[in-house]
Amino acid sequence: MRGRLLLLPYLKSALAVAAVGFAAHALTRLVPLPHVSVLFVAAVITSAALWGLGPSLFAAGLSVGAGSYLFYSPIYSFHVTDPQDFADLAVFIIVAVLTSRLADGVRRQARQIADARLKAQGEALREALINSVSHDLQTPLAAILGSASVLETMGEHGAPRARRELAATIREEAERLASHIGNVLDLTRVRSGQIAPRLELVELSDIINGALRRKEKALAGHTLHVDVPSGLPMLRLDLFLMEHAVANVLDNAAKFSPAGSKVSVTARRAGGDVVLEIADEGRGIRPEERDRVFEAFYRGSPQEGGAAAGSGLGLAICRAFVEANGGRATFASAGPGRGTRVQVRLPVSP
Amino acid sequence: MSDARAQVLVVDDEPQIRKFLRLGLEDSGFAVLEAASAEAALRAAVAARPELVVLDLGLPDREGFEVLARLREWSRVPVIVLSVRSREDEKVRAFDLGADDYVVKPFGMPELLARVRAALRRRIESEAPEPVFRVGALEVDLVRRVVRVSGAQVRLSPKQYRLLQILVTNAGKVVTHRQLLSDIWGAAHRDDVQYLRVFVRKLRSRIEADPARPAYLQTELGVGYRLRTPDQLDGPP
Repeated sequence: MRGRLLLLPYLKSALAVAAVGFAAHALTRLVPLPHVSVLFVAAVITSAALWGLGPSLFAAGLSVGAGSYLFYSPIYSFHVTDPQDFADLAVFIIVAVLTSRLADGVRRQARQIADARLKAQGEALREALINSVSHDLQTPLAAILGSASVLETMGEHGAPRARRELAATIREEAERLASHIGNVLDLTRVRSGQIAPRLELVELSDIINGALRRKEKALAGHTLHVDVPSGLPMLRLDLFLMEHAVANVLDNAAKFSPAGSKVSVTARRAGGDVVLEIADEGRGIRPEERDRVFEAFYRGSPQEGGAAAGSGLGLAICRAFVEANGGRATFASAGPGRGTRVQVRLPVSP
Repeated sequence: MSDARAQVLVVDDEPQIRKFLRLGLEDSGFAVLEAASAEAALRAAVAARPELVVLDLGLPDREGFEVLARLREWSRVPVIVLSVRSREDEKVRAFDLGADDYVVKPFGMPELLARVRAALRRRIESEAPEPVFRVGALEVDLVRRVVRVSGAQVRLSPKQYRLLQILVTNAGKVVTHRQLLSDIWGAAHRDDVQYLRVFVRKLRSRIEADPARPAYLQTELGVGYRLRTPDQLDGPP
């Protein structure tokens, strides 16, 4: 298989030479062409530019053969007798070899530039990941280390209230750390293609309830409104990917809306889909941000307090997981300060 | 050794984890025994006969499962396993081997303490099972085989009743899909989880006020089902 692929460029070069040969042969019947070799140079340059040095030299060799056979007297024989034709061929060979090398160099450079660009994109992504991760890991770590060292220095002399507060900080920050690490692990698993959805017929309500239970703490300060009819059809989904996706949206709703406000979870049948909607009464987003919220590391504009809240991975993971389940996740907001609504459409399997 | 405190055996190879478990459990009135390896755990279980075991599944060489399996050969001591997130296969395996409950790492002490207390309470209750199980508006009379919701009798098919009965006798505990399937439909069907889901849906529609937000029959995603006991009733579905 690999050998055949390596030979393919040579075959293409041969076809290019053959095409030029036929075209030139037809042309010389209509108009006399004094230096037919110029036409073959085109086939050689094309081969060099597209397929590399080897195929272009191969094309040059074939061109010499085809030229002497078709155009130099005696025609239809590989013998060349005319000294002028000899000179013609010699010039052709020199030009062919030179242009081959030039064109091949250009081709290599182009490829290097493309490689470099791809690499730079990878680097940018990696840099964003490292920045995000190191910030998200270092901030809670600093708080944990600091609080723990204060607690240790205080010993028995610390006021009970101060000790309790320090301990609470340590716990809260450690929870934040755990959630970030979980997100990064998930994203790397999606990116590296490690996650293959295991689809089975499941109850959407089980998934929603699982996600609600997982985010119980985050949602504790909000009024929860759940409306999931019990007659919904069972869906073919991966339980854990979908629970995770829903949990991430709930987490966002809790994070970006004020305490006491309403978070609603509704599901309904809409044609061939089941539509799950999670809406909050939070800070919302501007229309131009709508497509960016699903990007990895996008955290909203800092002046609205977006950057402080999380790793910017939650909705990216949500979309990746929903799409792995054959669904679609979209985001809508009436504008800043007017809440957001994440809609997840899941197909009902026939 | 005239210690009246309930003894808990903590099995984990990480000294830092053992330390905070010991401090937390002792602070709540338990006596704590520690084991850092499978061998030490089994020796301690035989010698000290603890009333509960907290077992980390992440012991080197998958020894956590071995401890559980060997423990279950002769003991019914409640075992709470510690597992990491996104390892549902581990949870299922632990339950099939006879674990009583699980806590996902990382966890806080209050969560573990709640599970420890619930497991100890179940242990006492299972020694003298009540003939009538009650949770919220649901009432299951195991002797007369009668199920009532808010006082009104509910008709169940024999298989639906069997499903409920297994959950009632294990109330508060997770029963795995596999255990339910092989018990109700036989070992040949123990992997037909979708069939079980359809059945649970039917049972819920008979006993739950809102089957989409079940108050009693709780789903443990990917693992199995749990029928709540009255003291577990406050959490989300």
